[in-house]
Amino acid sequence: MIAALTTPYVAWWALVPLITFAVAGFLLLTVASLVRRLPAVLAPAWTAVAGLGVLLYLVPMWSRVGRDGADSFLAGTVGVDRSSIFVTGILAVAVIAAALISRDYLPREDLPGVELYVLLLMSAAGGVVMASANDLIVLFLGLEILSIAVYVLAALHLRRIESQEAALKYFLLGAFSSAFLLYGIALVYGATGSTNMVRISAFLAQNVLVDDAMLLAGLGLLLVGLGFKVAVVPFHAWTPDVYQGAPTPVVAWMAAGVKAAGFAALMRVFVLTLGTYVSDWRPAFQVIAAATVLAGAVVAVVQTDVKRMLAYSSIVHAGFILVGLQAATDRGNSSVLAYLAVYAFLTVGSFAVVTVVSGTGDASHGLDAYRGMGRRHPALAGVFTVLLLGQAGIPFTGGFVVKLGVLAAAVDGGAYWLAGVAMLAAAVAAFVYLRLLVAMYLEEVPSGTETSGAVPLGALVVAVASAVIVLVVGLVPGPLLDLARDAVPVLVAG
Amino acid sequence: MSDYLRNWLTLVVFGGVAVLLVGAFLGLGSLVRPSRQTSQKAVVYESGVDPQGDMWSQSNIRYYVFALMFVLFDVEAVFIFPWATRLEVYDVFGLVEMAIFIFILALGLFYAWRKGLLRWI
Amino acid sequence: MSTPAIFAAVTGFDPLTGGEFLVAQNIAFAIMAITMLVSAVRMVTTGNVVHAALYLVIVLAGAAGIFILLGAEFVGVTQVLVYIGAIVVLFLFGIMLTKGSFGADDGVGGERRGIAAMVGALVLAVMAAALLDTFRDAELSRAEPSLTADVADLIFSRYIVPFEAISVLLLAALIGAIVVARGD
Repeated sequence: MIAALTTPYVAWWALVPLITFAVAGFLLLTVASLVRRLPAVLAPAWTAVAGLGVLLYLVPMWSRVGRDGADSFLAGTVGVDRSSIFVTGILAVAVIAAALISRDYLPREDLPGVELYVLLLMSAAGGVVMASANDLIVLFLGLEILSIAVYVLAALHLRRIESQEAALKYFLLGAFSSAFLLYGIALVYGATGSTNMVRISAFLAQNVLVDDAMLLAGLGLLLVGLGFKVAVVPFHAWTPDVYQGAPTPVVAWMAAGVKAAGFAALMRVFVLTLGTYVSDWRPAFQVIAAATVLAGAVVAVVQTDVKRMLAYSSIVHAGFILVGLQAATDRGNSSVLAYLAVYAFLTVGSFAVVTVVSGTGDASHGLDAYRGMGRRHPALAGVFTVLLLGQAGIPFTGGFVVKLGVLAAAVDGGAYWLAGVAMLAAAVAAFVYLRLLVAMYLEEVPSGTETSGAVPLGALVVAVASAVIVLVVGLVPGPLLDLARDAVPVLVAG
Repeated sequence: MSDYLRNWLTLVVFGGVAVLLVGAFLGLGSLVRPSRQTSQKAVVYESGVDPQGDMWSQSNIRYYVFALMFVLFDVEAVFIFPWATRLEVYDVFGLVEMAIFIFILALGLFYAWRKGLLRWI
Repeated sequence: MSTPAIFAAVTGFDPLTGGEFLVAQNIAFAIMAITMLVSAVRMVTTGNVVHAALYLVIVLAGAAGIFILLGAEFVGVTQVLVYIGAIVVLFLFGIMLTKGSFGADDGVGGERRGIAAMVGALVLAVMAAALLDTFRDAELSRAEPSLTADVADLIFSRYIVPFEAISVLLLAALIGAIVVARGD
């Protein structure tokens, strides 16, 4: 018997960002295979243009979703709502930034050029899949595309043994976390009878499970799996080593892009899908958030390597984002999205500066390299100052605005103690950034440090643009907060 | 369900018969043949040359890249089977989707070839 | 006349439908489960890495058999094709490429054996508790098995975007493997 199969309905307009990233990667790979010697500027320019194109396309997409409402298609496996558009925007920004930083980095390190950009585009495609997944299996697939590309990116500096070490550590722990996540999905499927997020949430809203041990076990495993990806305590141990070892432009992408996609996934899975079980998972989230901000801040203080310092600071930021996420309210969600956006700019800007300072060999990450930077590179030091103040959450920077947002969301939900702990941690973490500032402005240039030459253009553009955006958001926070408020994550049945 | 299992039972029966046959022939041989063990007979066979070292030894597998690529194309092949079972139903739609699917991974093969990975070393 | 029909005619007992529900399935499951269990234990206790890999083949084959028994033939065949056919081969390649000797157990990880056993037991306990708590004495569904064609229908309708995404995933893995393996 042959039954006619109708072609499934696909909202192609919603898939454009995903397809753009993927096809841009394919084309770049094909061209690079055909032409032996590509002009060095072609691949980064191509990648940045792809990111820019996606960013521009998101504008009409945003208004279309505002007009017609969120949608889902293919029997509700892939969805499109404003939160997924927002996160896609963050990913596009991170891709552009990473491409621009790499433009200077690869020739300086004498590394072969094209694979980084191809893998970057593919991992961005994976991130987009994660941000718009309405099905746990699709989410897992997106996560794997994202992660596999990033494992290889971490190993890309082939002559640095630290890079290989970082990649191996990241790969092993990442593979474990993927297994945890998959097991969690299997258990949730066993308990609810579906992997579709809409159906799971509908099932849990209608049925009271008497024996919910399996669902709770699945929930815990999902938390472990995604917790590894966004690096929250106690699943953070890989972060400092990987950030230290991996090529710096890749770290910028890891910190901005991977984290954004990971938190988008956490939001979709826990707040949206398992929202009815919020009283079960919220305590765990709160404890993890408190542990993350505290441990990250305290350990960051004793670091002497700037990349490790920034790694621990990224752990603190992850804890802050979790503080907003555990509220599981609209306000909490929008505070998370706003935080992710500002954090992306802060982190790509900071790592752009770190790339410049690290010098040939990507080796000088000690505080020494930053001593006296205020005199040697006044412009770069000024930009870095703005970014560090933003990370510390000093008023009139974007960092302050978004930190306030997550704390307000936590207080709204009555988690006063958590907000208190987070503020304490922010105060401790401020010391870290202060120490860098002191090194840059108040300490002498160590003898024997050569005054390095011109600052490469790509990294400079990224750093300056990020600093300007962070300042603008700090002074005029309205537009970003409005965008984040409108970026409501919803699940729509297909 | 039982029709389905019946089909697989055929496979089990065939497998069992295969094992039994081999066992029977080997068993018969060991009953009939004379058995005179000497230490010479337990030596690893090295084409007539005196063996050196342990019989466990690593060999440098230069073509391991092919094994890596094989895994990926194996996974791809797995997805072709379900498509093949419903070939007529999906018609052009299925053909296009499968063509895209194969084409994307073929890009990787093309890249490997241009990188010189497919040369015998 | 098919083989099972001959079997039923000779023994006077149809193992698939006669008597208690799925007697034959239970027996087959028991055989496979015990084989898997023994092989799994041998896999982690044997001193020879190559033997461990070969024991793994038995465990994976047993898993494939159980998939088929549960009516998921596509998953079962995939298990054989991908895991036994490719992954274990890759394992053996990996063993060949490492520098360590693989003849005898040189006590690697011996001091952590106790912790590992504890973690394993803990995972088993939690999983068993969760699964038993949820399923209790629920019977295996007598529903029709999901044939490969059913899987195809799902792939080519609902999961068409994930399906294409898989090839992106494979391509990323391929490029990654080449970049890391070549090292230049």
